[in-house]
Formats: sequence, C-alpha cells, structure tokens
Amino acid sequence: MFASVTSVALVGVEPRPVRVEVHIGAPKDRFALVGLPDTAVREAKDRVRSAIVQSGFQFPNRTVTVNLAPADIPKAGSAYDLPIALGVLAAAGSVPPTVGSIVALGELALDGTVRAARGGLGAGVVARDTGLPCVLAVQSAAEAQRVPGAEVRAVRSLSEAVAVALGTTPGAPIRPAVDSKASSVVDLSEVRGQAVGRRALEVAAAGRHPLLLWGPPGSGKTMLAVRMAGILPRLGEEERLEVAQVWDAAGRSGRAEMPPFRSPHHSATMPAIIGGGSGVPVPGEISLAHKGVLFLDELGEFPINILNGLRQPLEAGWVVVARKGVSVRFPSDFQLVAATNPCPCGYAGDRLRPCSCSVPAIDRYRRRLSGPLLDRFDLRVSIPRPPRGDLLGPAGEPSRAVAGRVEAAWAMQSERGSPNGRLGRGELDRLEWTPNARRLLETAIERFALTGRGFDRIRRVARTIADLLGVGPVDEPHVAEALSFRGEW
Amino acid sequence: MNARLQLAYVGMHPDRRAELEQRYGSAEEVLEAIRKGRIEVPDRARRAGMVPAVERLEQLTAAGVTIGFREELPGHLAELPDAPDLLFVRGAIPSEPGVAVVGSRRATSYGASLAHRYGMALAHAGWPVVSGLARGVDGAAHRGVVDAHGSGVAVLGCGPDVWYPREHEELGRALIANNGAVVTEYPPGTPPNGWRFPPRNRIISGLCRIVVVVEAAKTGGALITARRALAQGRDVFAVPGDIDRPTSEGCNRVIRDGALPVLDPEDLIEAVSLVLGPSHGSVPVDGVPVDDAQVDDVVGRTIDELAVERPVSEVLARVARLEALGLVRREGGRIVKGR
Repeated sequence: MFASVTSVALVGVEPRPVRVEVHIGAPKDRFALVGLPDTAVREAKDRVRSAIVQSGFQFPNRTVTVNLAPADIPKAGSAYDLPIALGVLAAAGSVPPTVGSIVALGELALDGTVRAARGGLGAGVVARDTGLPCVLAVQSAAEAQRVPGAEVRAVRSLSEAVAVALGTTPGAPIRPAVDSKASSVVDLSEVRGQAVGRRALEVAAAGRHPLLLWGPPGSGKTMLAVRMAGILPRLGEEERLEVAQVWDAAGRSGRAEMPPFRSPHHSATMPAIIGGGSGVPVPGEISLAHKGVLFLDELGEFPINILNGLRQPLEAGWVVVARKGVSVRFPSDFQLVAATNPCPCGYAGDRLRPCSCSVPAIDRYRRRLSGPLLDRFDLRVSIPRPPRGDLLGPAGEPSRAVAGRVEAAWAMQSERGSPNGRLGRGELDRLEWTPNARRLLETAIERFALTGRGFDRIRRVARTIADLLGVGPVDEPHVAEALSFRGEW
Repeated sequence: MNARLQLAYVGMHPDRRAELEQRYGSAEEVLEAIRKGRIEVPDRARRAGMVPAVERLEQLTAAGVTIGFREELPGHLAELPDAPDLLFVRGAIPSEPGVAVVGSRRATSYGASLAHRYGMALAHAGWPVVSGLARGVDGAAHRGVVDAHGSGVAVLGCGPDVWYPREHEELGRALIANNGAVVTEYPPGTPPNGWRFPPRNRIISGLCRIVVVVEAAKTGGALITARRALAQGRDVFAVPGDIDRPTSEGCNRVIRDGALPVLDPEDLIEAVSLVLGPSHGSVPVDGVPVDDAQVDDVVGRTIDELAVERPVSEVLARVARLEALGLVRREGGRIVKGR
C-alpha cells in the first residue's frame, strides 16, 4: 500500500531529486498532500483524480497521503501531477510497483494527457545522476536530452507513461531540440557610419566592460546595442547547458549558440529583473541574460532600487534571491549595455535640434544616474546624430569578424585570470605600462580631475585595447583611446 | 571718508542711501541722523554703522578686502549719476571698460555653452569680462574667462566674503587669482537678499561699455541690466533665439528694441572691436607646444567623420590627447576648440 516515484525540484537553477511517496490507508475518501507544496501543487489532487479515472483506472476510495520529500525544499507548479498519479496507481496496486523506478515530471490534463512543465532539463540531470530513465512530456523530453548520458522517454498520456515505465513501449518519438545556428540576429554590417559606436561596442565586449551609450533620440544607440550579442563569441557546449538551466528554471525554452539578448522595459518590477517572485524564486532578466547581453534602454527611467540591485551581480556574476525561508543563487554573468538620452528632452548637444532643458533640469536628470551604478560603466560613449551622408555610406564590418577579435582578447584575459571589466585596484596596480603610457595617465589625472574610480576605469579599458591588439605592456596610444571613452557626463 | 565707510556698513538699499545723502547733504549728516534715530533703520544696522571706521579697516585688511571710493573707481563707472559711493573689492578692478556677459540663471545648455565661448573669446581678445557670478549664463561666462586665463570681474549681490551660489566660490577665487576682481557695494557678511540684486546690475553695466545678453526670458535680471545699460549710455548686444522659445524671448525683445544682434564669438569680437577699438592683444594660453595643424585638423569635425580617413582607434586616441592638453573638447560629438 506504499509506492514512490522520483521527480525533480529546482533550487535556484540547481535540480534536486524529490521522492514522491504515496501511502494508501484506511477506506475513507481523503487525499492529503504534504511536503511544502505550493498552491499549484495542491491543485494536483483534482487533476490527478480526474486523469486517473479518464485513463481507465480506478481511483482508490481510501485515504491517500502524498508526501514530497525532502520536505524542506519548496515545490512549485504542476510538474508533480505525473509522478503523483503513477505513485497512486502503484500504491493502489493498479499497476506493478516497478513503475516507480523512473524520474517522472509533467502536468496532467483532466483527460490524462501529459503536458510539458518547468524543469525538463533538471529531470534530465537527475536521470543522469540516478541512472534512472526519465519520463516526460514530448517537449520537456527534448530539453532533457541536452543532458549527455540521460536516458529520456517521451510520453503523451498517463497510460502511455505507465506502459513506458513498465517497459512495454519505448514511448513517443522525441524531436531533438535544435540550437538555432545564428540567425534572426541583426548584424553589425547593417550599421553604416558610427565608427565610434562600433569601436566602443567592440572594446566593451572584449573586456566585458559595462557600456553606456548616450545621445539624442534616433542617433543609433539602440541599433548598436542590439548588435552586442552578435559580437560576443558563440556559446560552447557547457555554456549552452548553463544557459539552458537558467531558462528552464524560468520555465522557458528556445536557446541558441548565440548568446542571449535581454532587453527588459523600464516598467518591469524588481523581481522580474533581478529575480524572485512569490513562493519559489524564479530567475529574473539579469539571469536570463546569463552569458549574454542585458540591455537597459532609457536607463534613467529605471527605478533606483533596481539599478542598485544590479551592482552586486555585475561584480559577482551571480545573484542571491532571498524569499521567506529560501535563498537561492542564480547565475547572472551578463554583459551590460545601457542607453540614455543626455537630458530630459533628449537633445542636449544635438546639432540640429535645440535642447529646451534648463541646466538645473539636466543636472537633476544626470544626478539620478550618478553614483554607484554609473561608476560601474567603464565606457561612456556619446553617440551623436549621424550625418545624413553616413546613412548612404558603405556597409560596415560583419559581426562575425569583430567576434573573432573579441574571442582572442578573451583568451588573453582568461590566461591572466579574470576579464578586464572585473579587475580590482590591486590587480590594476600590477599591470605593466610603458613610460609614455604612465606619463599620459599622470597628465590625465590632473587635467580631467580623475577620481580613483575614474582612474581605474581608464586603466581597465586601456588594458582591453591592448588585448585587442594582442600586446604585452599597455602603451600610450591605448591609454589615449581609453581616455576618449571616459565620457564626461 | 570714515562716515562713508561706516554708512556702507548700515547696508541700506543703494537707492535709499542716495536719496538720504541728497536730503541730508553728506554721509556724515546721514550717519548722525541714524545715530539720533531720525532715520529709521533696524537696530542691528544702526549698531553696524556705529563701529569706528578704523576697526572696520582692520577687519577688511585682515580679510584681504580693499575699498574703492567713488572717486578712485574707473572713470566710466564713477561718472554715472547712480554710481556706488564705494565698492568692497577683492582683487583689482581693470582700469579700462569691459564687456558684460549676462543672462538667465536658468540657462539652457545652449545658453551656457554660448556664454562660455563668449567669455573665452572676449578674454582671449584681452577685454575684461564682467558678470554677476550667478548660476547659468553668468557662471558660464566667468568660467570661460578663467579657462582662457583672462581678466574678469564679478559683481556680487551680497558681501565680498559671502559666496552665492556657494558652488561658485572656487570660480570667484579663480577670477581674483587671474588679475580680476570680485566687487560689491555691500559690506562683508551681507546675505544675498533678493532685493540686493537689481541694484548691483547697474554696477555690472557701469563697469562696461557693452552689455551682451546671451539668453534671457521675458522677465529677469538680465533685462534689468540691459535697460540700465541703455540708460547709462552703454551699447547692448543680444543673441537672437527662436521666437517660440520662452528662454530667448527677452533677447529677441531687446533686439527688436534696438539692441545689436550678435552671432558666433568671432562676430561678437568684431562688433566689440568697433566700439572699443582694436583689442589689446591676446592673453597667452599655457600648455604644451602642439602643432597647431593638429588642432586645426580636427576642429569642427566629428570623430566619425575623421574615422573615414584613418582607423577610428587612432582618431580617438589623437583627440583624447588634445583633450588632455586642454586644447579641444567635444560638444555633441563635434570637436571644438578650448577646454
């Protein structure tokens, strides 16, 4: 009168095996669900009952107790319908207890159809670790198959799941998830002119430096920013799996070799961007942008608390989201690109339209952005309105070519340790400089009244520029170019 | 002499003081009337006026402030019927008449950058530049003067030891250090009360032959200065703006009423030369010798334009070097001369 089936819970993006234990007791129509379930899990009772009956089995007219163990991991969503149903059938003796020796995950429709649920990839990981086959809805099965060494079976209905678990049928065919190669992505070759913007994009990508683009509306800030993902090196097998895990935890699928590009609107909430939500925390935009690009358009419109929330992940590459009783860690190693107008009306410094803002108004607007987050932008680049001739100019260099140089620069940095964008003051002090480079740095400190942080930014960017050329000590031209990106504002 | 200094410490409105002096005949009589209570002033003001002049002089010397009585002031200011009886001076007032650059405290970035350029150009040409050290146009014009290492005068609406707005203290000190001056007719410690500003505008225009209104709304101190300037027989220039922009309405109106419209800094210099005669020569700019051609090559162009001929990283580095030398800066993407 007891049976158990293995399933999966995600703690952050970490899949953990969960044992779904079912006990059937005294004859009494009672169905209890214990083990930190959320509302959606509790609703499983009704779906499971209906699915079992509609699949031609009998629902036991007795006390059914379901325990999701370990009880201290919160479980969310409808993914436990399938393992609960299989457990009930086994415990009731309707099917042999061997159905329990699988990893099952999936939502049940009232008619017994199995639907995809969050955590398909996690099920694959657990299947690999436990050596059990995993039984999933067709769509989730495609996700689970990304995990090398996992035995994956796809099913369409509860009765098919029973048959597969007992080994009588191989299950439904799985259409393998294909990582799209490249391309609906926009290419840098479509950008005409914009020499400064292109160069800034390349330098930022090469050193993983946060990049701030500012200029009047229509100057091409967004056009440049959306092309950032295209000049990052393609994701390797391991990174793709890492990204897939995060997306799986968010209940999303559809990834590519191309690094992800996320562009949340400034009206998005703190949990949506940083991660969280009620109950079981889910990854936010900064984690969906893991290994890819996070683009914040109209930076000044984002609430201050969200901007401040970006600081820790920017430095660490991960974020801790704490909710009542749980605190999980999501990876969030992203390339930050932000765009902003120079002033409230957008036209300060524009050559065609006069700016109608008063100086104090501009001051206020910029002060909103200043402080700790603005300090993190190693490159601040003014993107002026392009001259008309540029729009008719020749096409630029394609993204792929730039990505090659970026990749080479990354390789130099990984040999030294961390990306230049993360170099601390101690590491910066140990960098090598030519005498001329030092002299220019000294002049710059005085002339531009650089602060300690400003000085660090210049040094980080200068190192990256040298990396792009593959040279050892940083030389004067590299420092000079880095100075041009300091962007007073 | 002593009574005039003591009377200045009473801190009355300049118009009232002038009127009293005319009624009573001399500063001594006015002071005496205040002492006897025949002229009503606040107690504190009366007490301030009773402190012996010797003591005051000691205090002023200690604070590095000198006094310029009317007869010692430059002729173009002293001859005015409403000239101040004395000025508290930090630094040295240039003897020749200058050019005032005035405008809105709430300047747009356009107005502020124009004021800065005018300030620089005038200073380069060697004329003293006078303004009010206020926020907006005033401050930008002074900043331009300081950047060009020229001589400038700030006329305050408060005591010579009170910096208002506070963030302009450094700017004011830079003016003094560069052979310029900070002057006021109000004694040390006088707070920047609103009513003190309109009277100081007559001193701004008084120290000049020309008043340039850079940006001004329909109402505001800059227009008061322009009106006073006309009454004092000064020439008024103004920068035209869009007729629909409230921030230019004041300028446009003075132009309609007869002020000379001025365009870019070169145009202003030309117009000023016609009034003041050829400039006195330029003030040398410090810095490192750089081939002029290097600067001329990039000025007026954008980096994107220059990047057509050479690699963008090279262009960026080159412009950054010139910026580090204080020879050029970028404005809306375009490279312009100056810091």
